[in-house]
Amino acid sequence: MRTALDGLLESGAPTRAGYGFAYMDASAKREVRRALLKAVCIPGHLVPFASREMPVARGWGSGGLQVTLSCVTAQDTVKVIDQGDDESMNARGLRQLIADTTGVATTTDARTATLIQTRHRIPEDDLHEGQLLIFQVPVSDPLRRVSPLPSFTRTLHAEGDYTALWLYLYEDHARSGRSSFTSSYPVQVDGRYVMTPSPIPRYDVPRLDGAPFLSLFGAGREAAVFAVPPYTRVQPLAFEDRPFEVERFDEPCWRCGSSRTYLDTEFAAGAERLVCSDTDRCRRSVGEGAR
Amino acid sequence: MTALLEVDGLTVRYGPGCEHCDYLPAGEVSCATCGSVFGCRDVCLQLDRGEVLGIVGESGSGKSTVLSCLNLDFAPTAGRILLDGDDIAGADGSRRRRLRAADLGIVYQSPQQGLDLALSAGANVAGRLLALDWRSYEEVRSRALAHHISVELAEERIDDPARAFSGGMRQRVQLARALISTPKLLLLDEPTSGLDVSVQARILDLIRRIRRETELAMVIVSHDLAVIRMLAERVIVMRGGRVIEPGLTDQVLCDPQHPYTQLLVSSQLT
Repeated sequence: MRTALDGLLESGAPTRAGYGFAYMDASAKREVRRALLKAVCIPGHLVPFASREMPVARGWGSGGLQVTLSCVTAQDTVKVIDQGDDESMNARGLRQLIADTTGVATTTDARTATLIQTRHRIPEDDLHEGQLLIFQVPVSDPLRRVSPLPSFTRTLHAEGDYTALWLYLYEDHARSGRSSFTSSYPVQVDGRYVMTPSPIPRYDVPRLDGAPFLSLFGAGREAAVFAVPPYTRVQPLAFEDRPFEVERFDEPCWRCGSSRTYLDTEFAAGAERLVCSDTDRCRRSVGEGAR
Repeated sequence: MTALLEVDGLTVRYGPGCEHCDYLPAGEVSCATCGSVFGCRDVCLQLDRGEVLGIVGESGSGKSTVLSCLNLDFAPTAGRILLDGDDIAGADGSRRRRLRAADLGIVYQSPQQGLDLALSAGANVAGRLLALDWRSYEEVRSRALAHHISVELAEERIDDPARAFSGGMRQRVQLARALISTPKLLLLDEPTSGLDVSVQARILDLIRRIRRETELAMVIVSHDLAVIRMLAERVIVMRGGRVIEPGLTDQVLCDPQHPYTQLLVSSQLT
C-alpha cells in the first residue's frame, strides 16, 4: 500500500545525494508528526518526542529543525530567521540545510513564506491562515524554575497548579512594581496549560493570541514539542489590576524610522542605536520610503 | 448536626500486611511475620466546631502520622476522614490541593516544611490565596498584610525573605499562612517545640488569641503536656500507633487510667 509519506519521499526536486527527502528518514518524520498532532490537539501541553542527533548541535535549533523537516513539503516556501534576522550564521546554515535536502524554494519575505522557522521572534508582517510558524525552544517548561524534576512539574501541569508562577509575579510586583518575566513570558493557552512561548519578547506575546497561523514549538535538547493551533486564546499570566505590558522604545528605528516594530540595540562606531529586529521588513520599508 | 471532623478506623500500613498483623502485642508497630510497619492503627476521633483536640504520646507513637493524614499528605491504607460530612481521605490531586489551600491550615514544627524560605514572608502567606485563584494583586496584598500584622509581625518586614526570620517569627509566618484562607481546621504539629521558653509562651498566647477570636477547630500534636493542658479540652494518648486513652484533658492528665498514660504524666518535670 502506498502511503502519503512515500509520495512525499518521491516528490519535489532532486535533493542531496545519499539522503531522502528532508534529511530525516520517513519513520523518524512520522514519529515527530505524531507528537505534533498530539500537541496540536492539546494546546500548550508538552509532548515528549524522540529528539534525534541532527547536523546542528543541540541547543542550536535542533528541535525546530526536526519539526521543520518533518512538516516541510516540496511545495513549501521556507524562511528562516534568527532573532528576526535572515542573514545570521545560524539562520543561513539552517536554511541552506533545509533547501539542500528538500529542494524547496526559500525566501526572506514573511508574507509569501509558507513555513517559517524562527528563533525568538514572530515576523512583523501580519501572517495569515495556512502559514506555519516553527519556534526553536531552549527551555520548554515554564515550571522549570519551580523544579528541575520533570516528574514533579508534570503533576503540577496535570493538576493545573500554577501557584508558583503567580507567586513569582506577586513577589515581582511587591519588590519592583512590575513583572521580572521578560522574554519567555508564561502564557495560558486556551484557558488550560501554561506554556513558555519560547523566548520571544513580550512585544510578540499578544500577537500569538487568536493568531490565524499554526505555531509549533520544538525543543531538541529537552526532547519536547508543543503547539498553539490557529485562533486559540493565549493569555499572559497577569493580575487583573497589574496588566501585562509590552516593551516600549523611546526612539524609532534609525534605519527605516518605524516606531511600531520591535527594536534591537545595535552597536556601531562606538554608539548605540535602535534598529528593527525584523531585518527583511526593515529593508522593505526603507525601499518603499525611497521610491 | 454532624461533627466537623470525624475520623474512623484510620490505619496507615507500610508493607503487604498478613493475618498475623491483627494480633500484634500492645505497643508493637511491626509485624514479625510479614515485616509490615504500622504508622497508626484504627484511630478514631471526633472534633466539633471550635473545639481543640490534643494528641500526645512518645516519639514513634503515630501522632504525626495521624496529623499528616488529616493534612492529606498521603492517603491512609484504610479508614475515613470526614470533614463536614465529606470523605476527604481519598481525594485526588487537584481536589487535595484545593482542600489544603481552602479548608486546612497547618503549622509544622520545622518551618522549612511549611514555608518556602527563599520566598518573602508575604509571598508565603499570599500563596494560599493565589492557589485559590485570587487574581487581584491589591486584594491579595492587603489581605496578606493584614494577616502578617495580626500575627504580630512587623509590617515593614513583609517583603523580606522568610530565611531572614528567626525561628519564632517563622512560626508566626506559618500561622498567618494557615489562617489567611479562613480554614475549617487548623493542624498544629509541635508548633512550639524547639523554641526558647519566652518565645514559646508568646506563640502559645497568639494561638490562644486566635482561638478566642475565630473559634477555629484545632488538632494539636505535642509531646509537651503543659502545652496540651493549656490549649486542648480533649486529648487522645497514643502509643504504638493506637489510641490508648481518650478523654477530657483535665481528666486524662490528672487521673490517668492506662499504665502508659500514668507513666507519661509522672515522667513530666514540674
